[in-house]
Amino acid sequence: MSAARVAWLFLKVGVLNELQYRVNFVVQLFQSLIQVGTGLAVLALVYSHTDELNGWSESELLTVLGIQILLGGAIRAAVQPNMVQLMEDVREGTLDYALTKPEDAQLLVSVRQFRIWQLTDLVSGAILVAVGLGGVERSVGPLDAIAFGAALSLGGVMIYCFWLLITTGSFWIVRMEHVLELFEGVYQTGRWPVGVYPLWLRYTVTFLVPIAFAVTVPAEAMTSRLDAGTLALSFAFGTALFAFTRWFWRFGLRHYSGASA
Amino acid sequence: MGRMAVVEVAELTKTFVVPEREAGLRASIKALVRRKHREVHAVEEISFEIGEGEVVGFLGPNGAGKTTTLKMLSGLLYPTSGEARVLGHVPSKRERDFLRRITLVMGNRNQLQWDLPALDSFELNRAIYRIRRSDFTPLRDELIGLLDVGDLVRKPVRNLSLGERMKVEIVGSLLHRPQVLFLDEPTIGLDVTMQKRIRSFVADYNRRYGATVLLTSHYMADVVALCRRVVVIHHGRILYDGDLARLGAEFAAYKTIAVDLLDGAVSLEAYGEVVEREGDRVVLRVPKEETARVTGRLLVEQKIADLTVHDPPIEDVIELVFAEPK
Repeated sequence: MSAARVAWLFLKVGVLNELQYRVNFVVQLFQSLIQVGTGLAVLALVYSHTDELNGWSESELLTVLGIQILLGGAIRAAVQPNMVQLMEDVREGTLDYALTKPEDAQLLVSVRQFRIWQLTDLVSGAILVAVGLGGVERSVGPLDAIAFGAALSLGGVMIYCFWLLITTGSFWIVRMEHVLELFEGVYQTGRWPVGVYPLWLRYTVTFLVPIAFAVTVPAEAMTSRLDAGTLALSFAFGTALFAFTRWFWRFGLRHYSGASA
Repeated sequence: MGRMAVVEVAELTKTFVVPEREAGLRASIKALVRRKHREVHAVEEISFEIGEGEVVGFLGPNGAGKTTTLKMLSGLLYPTSGEARVLGHVPSKRERDFLRRITLVMGNRNQLQWDLPALDSFELNRAIYRIRRSDFTPLRDELIGLLDVGDLVRKPVRNLSLGERMKVEIVGSLLHRPQVLFLDEPTIGLDVTMQKRIRSFVADYNRRYGATVLLTSHYMADVVALCRRVVVIHHGRILYDGDLARLGAEFAAYKTIAVDLLDGAVSLEAYGEVVEREGDRVVLRVPKEETARVTGRLLVEQKIADLTVHDPPIEDVIELVFAEPK
């Protein structure tokens, strides 16, 4: 409970920090619009040639795109900045301060930054999801909505774990910044349901970089095609990944030597 | 001493394995394939104890192992071997009870939120350390008053000067009223007035709360002002542990004799090395064991108005200690 309080306070401080840079809001809004625009253009282009893609209609894919943008915004708001800061702290030795605090170190390094303006993507993503769902024939039931919420949360946790695993690597390998760009690239695959990809890539974006769990599975929930087995798998994999990440983080901490003064 | 030991260190050792290569492109490429490693013994089997309320200075040149020791004591580094206990805890376990009772201040790094007034960062610390509002506010205001930073805590940290930032940092790191303070170069880069201010504050805090302080500093003045006891560390080993005052007697090979002559014209070269001559005043440097004999001869053979014998300044002694081969 008190851990939640600490996280909440950091969130507040993060917002205070960001409010000082209001220009960022305009820039971010602009980026968000471009992102939505190109996404829509590509979708329109594909569906000018076909009515469905691997069983997904245009409206349904609009929902997928919306979820991808929405989650992308959440990652860039809450996960990525913290991990970038962590990499910097490891390199410069400022992680020392986080480690001498009587609070769970993993929690502290995960909540220190919050980029509120990235939440424009959250809004534009949500709008796309709503518009997409408006075009879907079947209506979304309460069970679908609950499954969607669960799948999306699990997906978010998995993406966070993926980031922390990679970032923990900076305890041994100092330069990890390129991972950031790599992730951005791979994350774009989430715009399409994983079913459209060849098998090897499908496995990669499911288990190696858990984008399928984060985007496709929630989208399946919203379009009533999710079966309980997939959700259970998502839950099992998410839990296992989180446990492993926590172990790996602690293992990494033991190897942290800090930049010398 | 009889006081409870707050810090207990027994044969504490830290060895780093670092990659090593020659300079240049060829060596870089070779290092990609086969990496050479070297063991660096940052701290080797050091042992000491610090009692409750003691202020101990940790002296040593760069790379002597001071910061490594401090980091092991604050739970940041796992010792390679040996044992450390602080307030009865093993630091590397990083137990909350332990972390809540210590603080680490590093002069060259800052932990406050850069873009926000320090008051916001203080609130964060209040949440992290779970300090009750009724305890927090009076102590915060007391510390702010002691360091005279009332105006500064409302400005964004990025707008503060180095010295101002350090004072505000110190307030932030003491809000949970730690019983043990690890101060690593707290006055580095600050001007003399600011150094003095921080020094007297540390002394004050030690008196008020009976806190135990372990301090490293490049500035002897810090150590002289604050610490009766010093631990001298060099190449990862302890060279001296005891009263600061006795350090001179132990390590200095010479003493200085200041003589006020009645007749300033005479030469005193025959008695020892003349290090200073100003009018009728001459300062001689003589080997320690000859001090008594030379003093006697001077008093008998010369017409002297005044004569005093001094230990050399502590800076010179330290320099001498570190100049000695390992």
